[in-house]
Amino acid sequence: MSRYLLTRLRQSVITLFLVSVVVFAGIRALPGDPALALAGEERSPEALAAIREAYGLNDNIVVQYGRFVGHALTGDLGTSARTGLPVLDSILSALPVTLELAALSLLLAVVLGIGTGVLAAVRRGRATEWLANAVALLGLSVPTFWLGIVLVLAFAIAVPVFAASGYVPFGTDPVDNMRRMVLPAVVLGSGLAAVVMRQTRGAMLDSLSADYVRTARAKGLSRRQIIGGHALRNSLVTVVTVLGLQLGHLISGAVVTEQIFVLPGFGKLTIDAVFTRDYTMLQGVVLCTSAAYILVNLAVDVLYSVIDPRIRLGGAR
Amino acid sequence: MRRTAAVPLAVGLVIGAAGCGSLTSAATEVGGVRMTDQRPVRDGGTLTVALKSDPDKLDPTLAQTLVGRTVFAGMCEKLYDTDRAGKVVPQLAAALPKTSDGGRTVTVPVRRGVTFSDGTRLDAAAVARSLERHRTLPGSARATELGPLVKAEAAGPYTVRIRLKEPYVPLTGVLADRAGMVMSPRALAKYGKNFTNHPSCVGPFKYVERVAGDRIVLAKDPRYYDADKVHLDRVVYKTITDGSVRLANLRSGDVQVGDQMGPVEVRSSLTEPQLQLFNSPSLGYQGLGFNIGNVHGTGEKPGKLRTVLAREPRVRAAFALALDRKLINKVVFQGMYEPACGPVSPESAIAPGAAGCPERDLPRAKKLLKEAGVKLPVPIELKVSTSPEDSRLGQVIQAMAREAGFDVRLRPMEYATLLEETDAGQFDAYVSGWSGRLDPDGNIASFVGTAGAMNTYGISDPVIDRLIAEGRTTADRAGRARVYTQLADRIRDQHALIYLYRQKNYVVARKDVAGVRVYGDGLVRVKDAGFAR
Repeated sequence: MSRYLLTRLRQSVITLFLVSVVVFAGIRALPGDPALALAGEERSPEALAAIREAYGLNDNIVVQYGRFVGHALTGDLGTSARTGLPVLDSILSALPVTLELAALSLLLAVVLGIGTGVLAAVRRGRATEWLANAVALLGLSVPTFWLGIVLVLAFAIAVPVFAASGYVPFGTDPVDNMRRMVLPAVVLGSGLAAVVMRQTRGAMLDSLSADYVRTARAKGLSRRQIIGGHALRNSLVTVVTVLGLQLGHLISGAVVTEQIFVLPGFGKLTIDAVFTRDYTMLQGVVLCTSAAYILVNLAVDVLYSVIDPRIRLGGAR
Repeated sequence: MRRTAAVPLAVGLVIGAAGCGSLTSAATEVGGVRMTDQRPVRDGGTLTVALKSDPDKLDPTLAQTLVGRTVFAGMCEKLYDTDRAGKVVPQLAAALPKTSDGGRTVTVPVRRGVTFSDGTRLDAAAVARSLERHRTLPGSARATELGPLVKAEAAGPYTVRIRLKEPYVPLTGVLADRAGMVMSPRALAKYGKNFTNHPSCVGPFKYVERVAGDRIVLAKDPRYYDADKVHLDRVVYKTITDGSVRLANLRSGDVQVGDQMGPVEVRSSLTEPQLQLFNSPSLGYQGLGFNIGNVHGTGEKPGKLRTVLAREPRVRAAFALALDRKLINKVVFQGMYEPACGPVSPESAIAPGAAGCPERDLPRAKKLLKEAGVKLPVPIELKVSTSPEDSRLGQVIQAMAREAGFDVRLRPMEYATLLEETDAGQFDAYVSGWSGRLDPDGNIASFVGTAGAMNTYGISDPVIDRLIAEGRTTADRAGRARVYTQLADRIRDQHALIYLYRQKNYVVARKDVAGVRVYGDGLVRVKDAGFAR
């Protein structure tokens, strides 16, 4: 197990290095002079020169990369070129918001998706399956922005049960936190719930027709034991894979959701940095997101080996 | 026949796209200009103001954005301010400045008994230090507007003496903006360039915290000299970039004031019984710029371009004559802005610009093109930003110009790229605008003066340069108004920058909020604001 972990960890470090190169080069490949974007309305030649000097934009790209990596390794991600706020502080304050949003959305997706997926599989060909499929299709098809605005109109304005925007940390006021996070989680999680539902349904249908399920039935196990203990457990490998892959989409989906609900998370931080060409902020945010993505995939791999020991043995070879 | 039908068809399509059936402005239906309301307010409460974008650095020397100026209006007072009529009035200065030495020395008396939010006393030395920082700090965004300033010094405990290279009449207007903001000397000494994260000025509210991309929190400053007139406990500025989301938050009550609302949102808000509208005419302008000499980049000496547009002023004049400003305003902005044809607003208290605009004249436009002997249609690439308003504006310009004999190809671009390409001179024409300054010089000199910092068009005209210099040194109001009228005419004759419309500053607030002020500079002032009794 520890050998398997070490191998995966080494691969993750290499991936992270490659990501840092791609992030750095990709941001510099964006069209638009960052100094001009940062200078705003009053862009005198002197102000532009000072901005280029202050953020090392005149230096060779290799020198800029070396400086970026050197600082990043010591935990210094610099200060935002636009606001002057420390990048690390901004990330640390945005991180809990996006993590909470992602966790709630994931929870919603898992509970709804797996539940309806199992239901659709065991009631194949009946009205329940059609209904579950129709809802899943709706969840996949409805644009996030539209759904967000409709939910705000319905549940923050017409029937003001939830808040339309803003964030209050869970530790400060759990009730207010939920009042502000439920709608964004529904918006972000609905698409994922649909994906999970369809994957669960497919995997469950495969499992339910497998030999080991037939054997279990022959042994006289109850329907609940067969579905919960055998079919679902084996189907979960596929579902967990999808969840791991979709977590990245969840974080990128948060960009739109955070804009609609004005949540000060990673997505909002990223989009603001892109439009203002705030290189330092953008580098820090994208690097941290990539690192999180790599870590989640590492965690998913580890989870695989717990669910199915054959994978661990294969990986250790 | 087909061409004649093109404009109404495009207009109809754009109206449909905008989702409006009427060209009547709902804002004018409810009473035109409305800058504030005077209802009595109770003490206490937190006011949340939704801003259109995230402010940049909270350092008056380095700040660049309009939304940043709105935040400063709550926490950083200036030597001078503007009143609702657009006149310059003293704020931290005790009186209007006096000039001597042929206009080369300006004396500013400083208000007594005032302290910064960190407890430091405001005096002439503090003012001089801030002015010197604005002038000399590398990267200062104030350096250009304070260009003629040689030195600022304390001539007494409460008297500041400013020495100038040459007479500079716009200085008072400049000191009514960020260059006139005074920063606590103690905070400057302690934080230096990091002042942005610990700003300390004189203002009704003081800085509490900032969360990147989300909010800036200010709290009532008990040390403020006028603290008994401040009613709110806190002001929170939240960044909500999307107009429809800003409106949804106003309707739900999560925010109480929405800044820079667009025509579509304003129309929607007027149907809401719990919302009210404030508006004021803007000091800025929006228009369309041609590249007539930007060969080496903005700020550099213009060169010769071979394009038809650069070579032939009659072609540019024909383009200008093909545009119907009133129709543009009705179609694209639902009649909620004002047609414009000069750099200075007719509302300017210093030197009002002309109110009327030339009408669309297609026969003359066609005649000019014929006289110029150019091959029709004249191809032009028009660069526009990706905002829905700019796209609609581009489509209407395209349809109107086609009727005169132009083939306008629209090129929507992301804003930062648009800035880069226009700054480098890589354009035929682009949609450009300016938020406006109190003094007309701030709307003109950098844009049309030879090698001006924002002269992307490559305009270089000795007459314009002479008139700009004259406007800066002419002290009397009538004389300045004459100079700027001549300047506006001369700029119009160049047809390199075609002024099209002037935005209005629209601010939507909940009905239970009173005392918010919205003047011509477009800032949301919250000093007197509160929740209505």
